[in-house]
Amino acid sequence: MILLDRVTKTFGKDGGAALNRASIHIEPKEFVIIVGTSGAGKSTLLKLLTREEKPTSGKIVVGGIDYDTLKNRHIPLLRRKIGVVFQDFKLLPQRTVFENIAFALEITGMTSREIKSTVPKVIELVGLAGKEKKFPHQLSGGERQRVAIARAVVRQPKILIADEPTGNLDPKHSWDIVRLLEKINRYGTTVILTTHNVDIVNKLKRRVITLDHGKVVSDEAKGSYRQ
Amino acid sequence: MSSNDKLPKPTGKPISKPSVDSKKAAAATVKLKQNKKLKRRYLTWMRMVRYGANNFTRNAWLTTAATIVMTITLLILFTTLTARTMLADTVQDFREKIGLSVYLLEPTTEDEAKVLQNKLGGIENVVKSNFVSAEDAKQSYIKANDPTEEQLQAISELPDNPFPASLSISVKDPNSIEEIDELVKNDPDFLAIVNPEREPSYEGDRRDVIDRLASWTRTIEFIGLFVGGLFVAISTLIIFNTIRMAIFSRRDEIDMMKLIGADRNFIRGPFVVEAVMYGFIAAILATVIGVFALYGLQTRLEGWGVNVAPTREFVVTFLPLILIGMIAIGGLIGAISSRLAVRRYLRV
Repeated sequence: MILLDRVTKTFGKDGGAALNRASIHIEPKEFVIIVGTSGAGKSTLLKLLTREEKPTSGKIVVGGIDYDTLKNRHIPLLRRKIGVVFQDFKLLPQRTVFENIAFALEITGMTSREIKSTVPKVIELVGLAGKEKKFPHQLSGGERQRVAIARAVVRQPKILIADEPTGNLDPKHSWDIVRLLEKINRYGTTVILTTHNVDIVNKLKRRVITLDHGKVVSDEAKGSYRQ
Repeated sequence: MSSNDKLPKPTGKPISKPSVDSKKAAAATVKLKQNKKLKRRYLTWMRMVRYGANNFTRNAWLTTAATIVMTITLLILFTTLTARTMLADTVQDFREKIGLSVYLLEPTTEDEAKVLQNKLGGIENVVKSNFVSAEDAKQSYIKANDPTEEQLQAISELPDNPFPASLSISVKDPNSIEEIDELVKNDPDFLAIVNPEREPSYEGDRRDVIDRLASWTRTIEFIGLFVGGLFVAISTLIIFNTIRMAIFSRRDEIDMMKLIGADRNFIRGPFVVEAVMYGFIAAILATVIGVFALYGLQTRLEGWGVNVAPTREFVVTFLPLILIGMIAIGGLIGAISSRLAVRRYLRV
């Protein structure tokens, strides 16, 4: 599903490598946690996957798409196949829960009728039924993150990237979000989660990839948080 | 050989094979998509317009400011163009009124004058020529100067009519009358009738006025175009900055749109729609204000001797076209400036 082959990314001319010959292979339907201190290269890794950045060297293939041959104008099409969730939610403040989720479908040119039948199902899935007409500022942090997750999965992507989705949430809501991600994973979506939350990493008993100074320092099938 | 032999060896490159498959799959999807393409385009277009309209109503202050600047710009363009045609008409009026008067001996009959008129008609610069008899000249003097009873008495008591008969000639271009001069001074028919004691009034104050007016027209045209151009540039800059401010405050949104796979057009569209709406409204405002101003100022301008009527007629007759033109200019300014403003935020 996802293959990184000796990927290196440096910023600037003599800046250090944000990623240094990192090789990662992720199978379809896997649930992978990526940990590492700030500056370890987590964000860079995710930005490479969403093609916000190009690798300095190395090969990236996601869902059969080789990023070397990917044309710029096809990047939006690639991103429609990858769901992304951010720490700060990135919702449209002037639009309701329904409209925020519908937006992800509108950009693909889906008809209004299809949108009206698809969105409620996803709202149901993330447990926000009854809050369709609320605006983001009327919701709690946990609820906002659910909206963001709904927006990410409404197009049924094969891959969901969650970049510190629990970073702004209290423990209870954090666990709600993680449970939701596990549920989505059970439906067959590959989930990549980055987090600083030791508790979550240790209790999930999932595959853990640890990055340090741009290098993959450990990759364990049922890993725990390493310092 | 079984087909199994043809399978590629599991080398260290599992990459190329799936990408070929995905290309085939993509080709099939493309075919399917083409059926829905038109509908999608229509939907996308409608959505961009809707989002643009939302943005337009969202920030009342920016909208008002941008629309006012655009209105002023278009109004200046409108004023420049109408002023230009009005002045041109006025100058033409003056030119037609220039009478080169050739004074004739008494008594000259209308038939004798006719011969001269025919000869004058052969010169390209001559618009028309009129025979003004001595009596006509007297009457027009009385009409023009409104003399008192005593003066009238005095005029009628004179033994000879002091007003000479003349040929009044209108010319297209008062600056090239050499040909007429030549004819009047050398042609035998003219020499026979033309009063040798009175020089024809070729030149004089009126010609100076026309020359001055013509040079003013050029100056005004130049200033108008310059100021018009300047305002178009300023307006574009202000719209550009307005949109850029709007975009700057929403760059997170744009980032998000990019990350969930919105393409450039979909992100750019609403901003362009918003700016084109400024242009559209400004065009209507400017046209309405311009036409009303033209009507309102007509009497005053005519008092100054400006020929307003043909321009007004033109504006009224072609009002729909003028409106469309204004909308086109306003829309273009909006579209160009907003595209420039969004450009830097659209890099992938």
